[in-house]
Amino acid sequence: MRTLIKALAMLVLAAAGGATAQSDATSKDLPDWSGIWSMVGPTVFDAATVEPRNGLAGNPGVRERPPYTAAWEAKYLATIELVKKGLFPDPISTCGTPHGFPRLMNLPDVYEFAVRPEQTWIIGENGPSILRVYTDGRAHPGPDDLWPTFTGDSVGRWEGDTLVFDTIGIKGEDGTILDRTGLTLSQQAHIVTRLRKIDAETLEAEILIEDPLALTAPWRVTKRYRKQAGGSRAYDYACAENNRNPIGANGETLTLDADGNVIDILDE
Amino acid sequence: MNTTPARRSLIRAVLLALAVATGPAAAHHSATMFDRDHARVVEGTVKEFQWTNPHAWLQLDAAGEQGKPVEWSIEMGGINSLARSGYRPGTFKPGDKVTVFLAPHIDGVPAGLYIGARLPDGTVLGRMP
Repeated sequence: MRTLIKALAMLVLAAAGGATAQSDATSKDLPDWSGIWSMVGPTVFDAATVEPRNGLAGNPGVRERPPYTAAWEAKYLATIELVKKGLFPDPISTCGTPHGFPRLMNLPDVYEFAVRPEQTWIIGENGPSILRVYTDGRAHPGPDDLWPTFTGDSVGRWEGDTLVFDTIGIKGEDGTILDRTGLTLSQQAHIVTRLRKIDAETLEAEILIEDPLALTAPWRVTKRYRKQAGGSRAYDYACAENNRNPIGANGETLTLDADGNVIDILDE
Repeated sequence: MNTTPARRSLIRAVLLALAVATGPAAAHHSATMFDRDHARVVEGTVKEFQWTNPHAWLQLDAAGEQGKPVEWSIEMGGINSLARSGYRPGTFKPGDKVTVFLAPHIDGVPAGLYIGARLPDGTVLGRMP
């Protein structure tokens, strides 16, 4: 009986292996993205359109100019008003959920890029945030096997030294933002990212976002990452270790004293 | 590694130079409760330096109105970015008399967002007025 079970198990394993096309790339063909990297510039998702110029995400009145539909522009403007009043909490402030994609390409602290023929991992220290990009030839899951997740589903391929990957299935406005101005997308977003080294010290991600609900045209955003000095390390980032800024009932960010008491003077 | 006192001193100097060159780090939350337009100085004695994520906190005993002691809660960046800027768990030691430049809490309570500090030996970290 045990032999029969073992044989069946082997058949299942063989079938599962056969269903996945093998990547043509081998380790020696792949570019060297080793080391520790840090995003260039502040955590404004689309620095090319930010207003005012050099404005920081989260500061009152700062905004970007995605090609939003009128309805999504109106939602964005309403969020910007909440940001001004300090009543738009960043979803990650609760220390309970990841940043999600594509915000994962817009993080403070550092990154690591782990490249293998069958898969690349983009690891953001802050969060921590992990994006898994499958390059073994698989397709996205079918509709019955795909549900919205923070980072969505990413499959890709190598075009020379460029990793091209396609992301769908993100949570979008249901729990994620792109930056603290309140930019967000719908769950229908379809994002194609081209990631490559443009010189020995710089990785560049060209992110092309299409979203039939939120956008009237494709939105192209470029992010760059600079290699840090040799020997640099990434560290733990345990957001729940000592979070003295819980979110209040009205969406305001509170401050706790060393004993855990709320310092803020709360409105009754 | 053979770490001589001279070498330790050099490392410390490099780290402090890094810290001097770097301003306050990104917070993990909205910082609208801190009034950056009315940054002020607070002098006090370090009670505790919480070397933690998502933020480090400097607890500072300072004189309040009528000389009554007040404990300030001073929020800093996350320790990963602070470490890359040259800060270490021992940068602020309990009992140190320090001067801190901060953006005060808008409610007027003894809390603020760290901008910079002057250590007992005169070293300036971050940005001071």
